[in-house]
Amino acid sequence: MHRAARLNVSGVLINAAALVLVLSYALPYIYLLMTSIKPAADVQQIPPSFFPAVVSFENFREVLRSSTLPRAFVNSLTVAVLTTALSLSVAVTAAYVATQYRRRVTTIFLLFALVTRMVPSVALGVPLFQLLKSLGLLDTIPGLVLAHTSAAVPLALLLMSAFFEGVPKELEEAARMDGCTRFQAFRKIILPVMTGGMAVTALFTFITSWNEFLYALLLTSEATKTAPIVIAEYNSVYGLAWGAMTAAAVLYSLPVIIVTLALQKQIVGGLTFGAVKG
Amino acid sequence: MAGIELCNINKVYGNSFHALHDLSFDIRDGEFMVFVGPSGCGKSTALRMIAGLESITSGELRIGDRLVNDVDPKDRDIAMVFQSYALYPHKTVRENIAFPLLMAGLPKTEIASRVDEAARILELTALLDRRPALLSGGQRQRVAMGRAIVRKPAAFLMDEPLSNLDAKLRVQMRAEIASLQRKLNVTTIYVTHDQVEAMTMGDRVAVMKGGVLQQVDTPQNLYNRPDNVFVAAFIGSPSMNLYEAVLNGTTLTLGSNSFEIPDRVFEYRPSLGGASSRRVIVGIRPEHMNDAAIRPSSAEISAPVTLVEALGSESMVHLNIDAPRVDAGDPDAVADIGSKKAAVARFSPKSLVRAGDIARIAVDAEELHFFQPDSRTSIW
Ligand SMILES: Nc1ncnc2c1ncn2[C@@H]1O[C@H](COP(=O)(O)OP(=O)(O)OP(=O)(O)O)[C@@H](O)[C@H]1O
Ligand SMILES: [Mg+2]
Repeated sequence: MHRAARLNVSGVLINAAALVLVLSYALPYIYLLMTSIKPAADVQQIPPSFFPAVVSFENFREVLRSSTLPRAFVNSLTVAVLTTALSLSVAVTAAYVATQYRRRVTTIFLLFALVTRMVPSVALGVPLFQLLKSLGLLDTIPGLVLAHTSAAVPLALLLMSAFFEGVPKELEEAARMDGCTRFQAFRKIILPVMTGGMAVTALFTFITSWNEFLYALLLTSEATKTAPIVIAEYNSVYGLAWGAMTAAAVLYSLPVIIVTLALQKQIVGGLTFGAVKG
Repeated sequence: MAGIELCNINKVYGNSFHALHDLSFDIRDGEFMVFVGPSGCGKSTALRMIAGLESITSGELRIGDRLVNDVDPKDRDIAMVFQSYALYPHKTVRENIAFPLLMAGLPKTEIASRVDEAARILELTALLDRRPALLSGGQRQRVAMGRAIVRKPAAFLMDEPLSNLDAKLRVQMRAEIASLQRKLNVTTIYVTHDQVEAMTMGDRVAVMKGGVLQQVDTPQNLYNRPDNVFVAAFIGSPSMNLYEAVLNGTTLTLGSNSFEIPDRVFEYRPSLGGASSRRVIVGIRPEHMNDAAIRPSSAEISAPVTLVEALGSESMVHLNIDAPRVDAGDPDAVADIGSKKAAVARFSPKSLVRAGDIARIAVDAEELHFFQPDSRTSIW
């Protein structure tokens, strides 16, 4: 009896703590949502209200009417998808070799990949600008994809290495005994086992690129501006268009939410490494 | 199907550790060969070299007369069962077993019928659509076996396939694997550090120690005619009792005890006799020491009893024989016997000796083993 009661109390406490935590993350976003469906005129009302007095989709119509935001969305999506594909193909193969054929040089290689993460991206922005300029890739999709990939690969490499560490070496060896070349063993056995880990890595890479601001600001000007840049510009070019900005931000957050929900199962599986056991 | 021939095989690992020294022996077509030895003696290394998963530093490896030193594992026509089973977690049991056939490019109908047959032999039919994660340890072990037998390879390699099972299942699977091997008649190399597995399963057993092959022979011969002190102590449980002793003509002096060695011993060990006062290592198996009160003998010694373990069918009597004990160099033996000091005798359960007694022990002197004290090899 006593024991059950105590368990219940701690259960309530844990749930309360979880609720506080979730709210502290969710409240700003909920406020953003609420603001985006207020009439444009009410957005800067004093004192501010949390809930809209009237629900209006005026802000959404406004941002979708101009062609700037939709085009920026297409740019963002293209860059993020290509960055994810490129980063993943680099990180998965490199991490596999680095973990399965461990030598001193592979350890050093992984370490250096990490070091590049420690340099602030502002410091890398200017040389990157020069580099892309000399390659004629300024303000192009491939240029930005390369820049984002350079930023995303270290983390992807690290994640994939951690996932590969959890794959027993015998799995590859069994496949080789069963008639696979090393590459076939990798493709037919190791990769399918790693789907959870790759989903997690892909998601982080996608979000890195999707949210990236600084490189996009430095390396694009007109044709390939991504959405974060355009959203930021609502407060300069159009005066103080808070309403439009919130609506654009809501729209912008949707893909990440959708992708996260879609990959939820793989992410949990990948993060707990349960996928490789057996 | 094919025999396997190892000729002066050496393995030096990247960190310049010399794991195998001049390993040479033949495994006949269809033979069940067991590699046994204490942990770290190089059993897995040898097996992995035969599999092609580990490079061969020097020497020649032939599978069915083909030199395979530099042949890729996939082209050696060998199936392997891993200690961890290494089942493919994302594939069902059926897909796991079918995988090697798929890689071999067999037609679908052929694959299906072969998988069904393997499943029937291993009683896996009901589990074919499950994933490995939902199987018990014994079932996983069977799937691993299925993946090996379905291919009808030239040879099976198994690296401690039963060590992850509980004791009862291990005994059962031990018999099943042995009878399956006999039925399929495929050359098999089986690695274990369990000498009971080695003795019960193998047509022949290769005993290894520190990367050096000690002896290859049938289980009976290993037990009855060990080549050296290590094999003598490693094979048999409890281990053979080994002591330094002095042989003077036909009289053996073991600590404060002396007794006569029968003439027959000198007949089948001709190089034992002749010398006066010669130092030897004498080996006495536990079953060759009995309670003199029950089975008197011409060769008797007396020793204090330190412990009696009554097992029902027999009693393990620990004796404190006052001669210098010989360490056979088997790290596992210590844990095996418990007390390093004591000799162990296998008495009839009718024996009345108790701890603290000074027991009269009848030694079966015809069954003694003799070794050179320096080279530690058998004296024949
Ligand atoms: N990749 C490696 N690099 C260096 N040394 C190694 C390597 N693999 C094994 N060894 C060493 O080689 C020796 C033999 O190892 P091996 O795995 O063959 O032993 P084993 O007889 O199978 O032992 P166990 O019964 O514990 O499995 C050991 O001393 C081990 O430390
Ligand atoms: Mg081993």
